[in-house]
Amino acid sequence: MHLRRRGGYNVPLAGRPSAEIEALPEPAALYLPLASRRFRFSEVLAADGEAVEAGWVLARDPGHFGVPLLAPRAGTIRLGAAEGHIVLEALKAPGGARPGEEIADKRRRLLDLGAWQHFEDAHTGALPDPAGEPAGVIVSTVRLEPFGVRGDAILRNNLDAFGRGLEQLQSLLQYQPIYLVMPLLESALAEEVRESLRGHAFLQIVTVPLVYPMDGFGLLARRLGLKTDAEHRVWAVRTEGVLAADRALGASRPVLERVIAIGGPAAKQPRHLRAVAGYPIEAIRSGEAAEGARLIADGVLTGAAVEASARGLDAECTGLVALEEPKPRRQLLGWIRPGWGRQSYSRTFLSALRRTFPEAIPAAMRGEARACISCGQCEEVCPSRLMPHIIHKYLYAGAIDDAERLGVSRCTRCGLCAYVCPSKIELMEEFARAEEQLAEERRHAAEAAAAAGREAAQ
Amino acid sequence: MRMLEDLFDRLRPRFGRRPLGFFKPLFDATNNFFFWPKTPTRVAPYIRDPLDVKRYMSMVIVAMAPALVAGVYLFGLRVLVLVLVSYAVGGAVEVAFACLRKEEINEGFLVTGLVFPLILPPGIPIWIAAMGIALGVIIGKELFGGTGRNLFNAALVGRCIVTLGYPKEMARWIEPASRWPGRLLEYATAPAVDAVTAATPLAAAKNSQFADLGSLFWGNVQGSVGETSAACILAGGLLLVFVRVVNWRTTVSILGSFATLGLLLGAIVPGRFGPVGWHMLAGGLLFGAVFMATDPVTGPTTNTAKVIYGILIGAAVLLIRNLTVYVEGMTFAILLGNIAAPALDEAVIRWRARRLRLEA
Repeated sequence: MHLRRRGGYNVPLAGRPSAEIEALPEPAALYLPLASRRFRFSEVLAADGEAVEAGWVLARDPGHFGVPLLAPRAGTIRLGAAEGHIVLEALKAPGGARPGEEIADKRRRLLDLGAWQHFEDAHTGALPDPAGEPAGVIVSTVRLEPFGVRGDAILRNNLDAFGRGLEQLQSLLQYQPIYLVMPLLESALAEEVRESLRGHAFLQIVTVPLVYPMDGFGLLARRLGLKTDAEHRVWAVRTEGVLAADRALGASRPVLERVIAIGGPAAKQPRHLRAVAGYPIEAIRSGEAAEGARLIADGVLTGAAVEASARGLDAECTGLVALEEPKPRRQLLGWIRPGWGRQSYSRTFLSALRRTFPEAIPAAMRGEARACISCGQCEEVCPSRLMPHIIHKYLYAGAIDDAERLGVSRCTRCGLCAYVCPSKIELMEEFARAEEQLAEERRHAAEAAAAAGREAAQ
Repeated sequence: MRMLEDLFDRLRPRFGRRPLGFFKPLFDATNNFFFWPKTPTRVAPYIRDPLDVKRYMSMVIVAMAPALVAGVYLFGLRVLVLVLVSYAVGGAVEVAFACLRKEEINEGFLVTGLVFPLILPPGIPIWIAAMGIALGVIIGKELFGGTGRNLFNAALVGRCIVTLGYPKEMARWIEPASRWPGRLLEYATAPAVDAVTAATPLAAAKNSQFADLGSLFWGNVQGSVGETSAACILAGGLLLVFVRVVNWRTTVSILGSFATLGLLLGAIVPGRFGPVGWHMLAGGLLFGAVFMATDPVTGPTTNTAKVIYGILIGAAVLLIRNLTVYVEGMTFAILLGNIAAPALDEAVIRWRARRLRLEA
């Protein structure tokens, strides 16, 4: 099956990570953040001064089915040494992570050994219920946002494990389909992957064009026509998650390492790194990024800036992008320069006459905020076929119901509308806030309905 | 240049408080005109496209440059005076309203201020031009809340007002230059007589006198400053479509509906309608279709509505030109389109919303 392109745009950001995967030097201590993008590890199980083995559960997130925070190395626990972190000192050399005690329930094992965190609900990005029955599973080997971990970098030496992981996944399901998302391109690796998976009849291969965000899970789930309800969600997982599933279910070993991509114009050497949760951010900052660069975690379009208070890599980080802060000197008459070296989604710069090239785009707005001029670029670039400019006008006027009618809930947060907006309107942020408000309203409505139901019953 | 930038940086705090605080929008506009602002991104996406509204609007001005040059060549230096007056008066109104509202000065007036003189007869008294742009900007735009909220194209509102108020002065055409170097060094004025001695091609066509197509194409006919040279307008239009600043749908549907309906009606009622190809090059049709109907603020915002809007304007021009006492219909047609635009948008949005519900 092939999905055709709809909207989308590849941001020509310089610093694409090479496919090399290198190991980071062993750190002196690990700073494990108690919060990550989705999780809050509020239930701390480790005690101060305790010596732990690699793979032990240090904390859990009670709000997310008890997702564990695992000790990536053997060492000694320090609580309270760094605000919001568990510090692991006196680290022992890696290796020897013992197989955890055998947990009979496969899904429990997936969760407790740290593999389940690689899964997400295709529509919401939240952690799905490991005990639930999915409506389908989407496995993606494609990563189009600059810059996440490239599927090819990981797959290269792990084809066997990938195949085993897929089989493990399939063993969790009853009859639901597994869609394997592959790039639409001819390469030796793609051919090899196809070849190695030829026997897997349960897999349905879906090819997508290499245009961001055609790999977006929400978009894929909708376009594959997967029907969902509250109980039957669509599970989505990337290459790393399949390998993690193989490790947890096949070898019963905890998933302690992950591969992260480091890229962007201010990255010294854009490539992939083998890292563990809690790896000191400072060490990465000084070793991998240029002086004064800003680090963005999990993709430059949808991720979040690494805050100054963060001491270590969080357990979910998939990549870091190093961006240059805007230079203190402003450009004279910058808006009217020919722009041979400045690329734009529009064709208003001379670079429209050249082929695209990697560009060192700074972390700047590159223009002033203005009222919407209805240029229609956001509508054109939107992969979900929304009309962001009209939704924006409704939200600006406080007409959130009208925004809902126009499908603001279908926004997959790819960020392209805000990227291309010449009026520099924060469309994605605005839509996210509207969606939160709508979710709140729905919750209230449901509660009110339930209360009314109880009253009627009495 | 460093000195200038430092000067701006030193002055900035002064405009944050009284007594100069009132002029902050003017200061910001000047500052940002010279030096590109360097605001860091605050939320994702952490990088942005370099296109901003200034550049977007400057593309329109670049695209109008050929028509302006043609106007100066054909009708003399007086055209430049009109442009300067229009910018000065229109800009002053815009700045005054921005300061009163404490909002940023919008780049839209750079376009309005240039469009307006290009749709005036070259011989118009300067004071009427000044009054026209002032009234157009105030009534057509500022009273609605400024750029982005106006219902009507401000330049057309201005033109409409002076056309109704000063019909004789609005017929002061100037004989176009016919030989190199044109009137590039000449300050030509219209013959002081009020009588319309030589008519524009469209007026002459009412008496079945048709200017030759070559003159219409290159522009050496009488008419408004910027509308006569089809070649220059087309060059600008191609640029705008290439850089994707105007949506080709509007322009193409205006011209398409004008041609289709013209041919159709011409076949049904022979003799009543002028030759379609000739009409497309004459008068303000092309200029309006390329530079005015495509104004994103006063036109509809959805692509489907843009097509309907274009069809409406094209048909209206054809009917006004051929069936009424007016020789030119573009001003009215576009204003009519402006009125219809919100309704067209609403209809398309409802339709889209229904389809979304069906899909979900």
